[in-house]
Amino acid sequence: MNPSKRAIALALLAPLGYFAPALAGGSGAAYSAAVLIAIFAVMAYGLDMIVSDLGEVSLAHTVFFAVGAYTTALLATRAGAGSWTTLAASVVAALVFAALVGAVTLRLREFVFSLVTYAIAVVAATLAANWAFLGGSDGLRGIPLLDLSIPGVKLAARNDRELWPFAFALLVFTLYLMDRFRRSRLGSAAVMTHLNSRLAVVSGIDPQRVRLQVFLASAPITASAGWLYAYQRAYVSADILDSYFLILMLTAVVLVGRRILLGPLLATALVLSQEKFLSLGGYADKIILGTVLIAVLAFFPRGLVGFVEPLRARFARVPDR
Amino acid sequence: MNLLQQFVNGVVLGHAYALVAIGWTVLLGVARLVNFGHGQMYMLGAFMTWWALAGLGLPYPLAIAVAMAVGALVGLVLQRVMLQATMQQNLVSIMIMTLGFGYVLHGAAALVFGSTGQIMDTPLSTREITFGDTWLTWQDAAIVVVAIAVFVVLELTLERTRVGRLVRMVAEDPKLAELAGVNVRSVYLGVFAFEGAAVALAAAMVGPRTPILTSMGFEEVIMTFVVVVLGGIGSVWGSYLAGLALGLFTAFFGALVSPAYTTAAAFAVLIAVLVLRPGGLAARAR
Repeated sequence: MNPSKRAIALALLAPLGYFAPALAGGSGAAYSAAVLIAIFAVMAYGLDMIVSDLGEVSLAHTVFFAVGAYTTALLATRAGAGSWTTLAASVVAALVFAALVGAVTLRLREFVFSLVTYAIAVVAATLAANWAFLGGSDGLRGIPLLDLSIPGVKLAARNDRELWPFAFALLVFTLYLMDRFRRSRLGSAAVMTHLNSRLAVVSGIDPQRVRLQVFLASAPITASAGWLYAYQRAYVSADILDSYFLILMLTAVVLVGRRILLGPLLATALVLSQEKFLSLGGYADKIILGTVLIAVLAFFPRGLVGFVEPLRARFARVPDR
Repeated sequence: MNLLQQFVNGVVLGHAYALVAIGWTVLLGVARLVNFGHGQMYMLGAFMTWWALAGLGLPYPLAIAVAMAVGALVGLVLQRVMLQATMQQNLVSIMIMTLGFGYVLHGAAALVFGSTGQIMDTPLSTREITFGDTWLTWQDAAIVVVAIAVFVVLELTLERTRVGRLVRMVAEDPKLAELAGVNVRSVYLGVFAFEGAAVALAAAMVGPRTPILTSMGFEEVIMTFVVVVLGGIGSVWGSYLAGLALGLFTAFFGALVSPAYTTAAAFAVLIAVLVLRPGGLAARAR
């Protein structure tokens, strides 16, 4: 799609997205679902960068999500920090963590990289459940309401309905970042490293450097979702490291199709809508989510767009090149 | 502290780790495949054994056989679904699919068996062997014997038989093996059936040591990672030694420092080794 068409499409889609919960009836449940969809989609975009562009499977992104949430909870409940401070701190903490994880895993490829990142997630879960500093298994309670007021403008949210504009803004900003990333030099270097690492090296790209940079770019995105999630739930506990978030993120990345800007958002919306409005109970929902993930990869390796594109090609006129 | 007791604990634990990891070792060594659903397959094996013992009232050896048959079937189904990705060596898809599979198994097991823990008692786990002030159960002794037996049989099968030669050919070069007339698909299916049966056997043997929970797979798999990576990817004897070393380390760490952080400590060892020797401890052996 050429840039002007893109701009028009986005200008039409953005207001539609913003009023989606109102169009869906405007109930409290609709706003709650919309806020969670936005938060989890942002969480998934961080991973999308690693899986779709870099071609590696990081299983440590739940940790970045938890880093954002725990940083926010600790600073807000123990130091009385405001929402801007916790946002900045979440981003910084995520960068520090990503640099550590990145440094350790820099030379590891493919499944060893995934094994180690998975292990990081499990160890983080045991730490969060046992370490009194992080609230242990009770977690951290009493996180105050989101308040992003600046002098002269009051920006606070008491419930999900009031939280929606903030969640939507975070989502739009994330989409903007993803789009910028994919057009940037780093974005194309990542794809080249992924698809043909020898060619990348010949072109003067240092694959390890690119990997580390992409890692550093992706972690704050996922952490900012954790930041908002802490305010939405008002408490944070070790269950934020549950494998549910990992499976949800992976499904969001693969369900619609790789390297499609709105893919993770649409996929998150599909999964959350099923869980919120057509739930068959927690365990059955697990089976559904896991089965969807397997079925997509086994039968539609390119995602649901693999369905749509042949249709589009059939109806499209001769391409005007 | 009773040093001898911790040593015995470590040896038992080490054989348990090695036994749980054996299916994965073969999977990695032969097919260059990974299975993130390994922990949940262990969980399923433990629950199948428990159900066959407590629910059906079968004798222990028969209960093990039931669990292994179900495990092999689960492995076959998993690999059948992933076959296309396996033939293309599409590791990204395989890793994510096995994660999803583990998630489905967890949901299904929780639906059927509930989320409360169970205790699996076998005729061996309730009787003790004591010498001095050191003790272990007959179950512990059986774990050591079975682990050693499985490793010996596996090594002999891989090195001395026709099946072992085919499997090693596929491990070396799947495309060449196919040209030479080896049915690569059935080797992959067989390897996954072995993985399923082996982890079910391990669960039936090791399960009685701890309460069993449908949620235990998430954490259970970590020790297997550590064993497989430390042992040198795919090395049978490497993983046996790595399991033993890890068992001793865990036993002494749990007794001297803190039992709550043994997983974290084992992981720290893994990271240290990966940074210092990316090929694993047995890198030079093969």
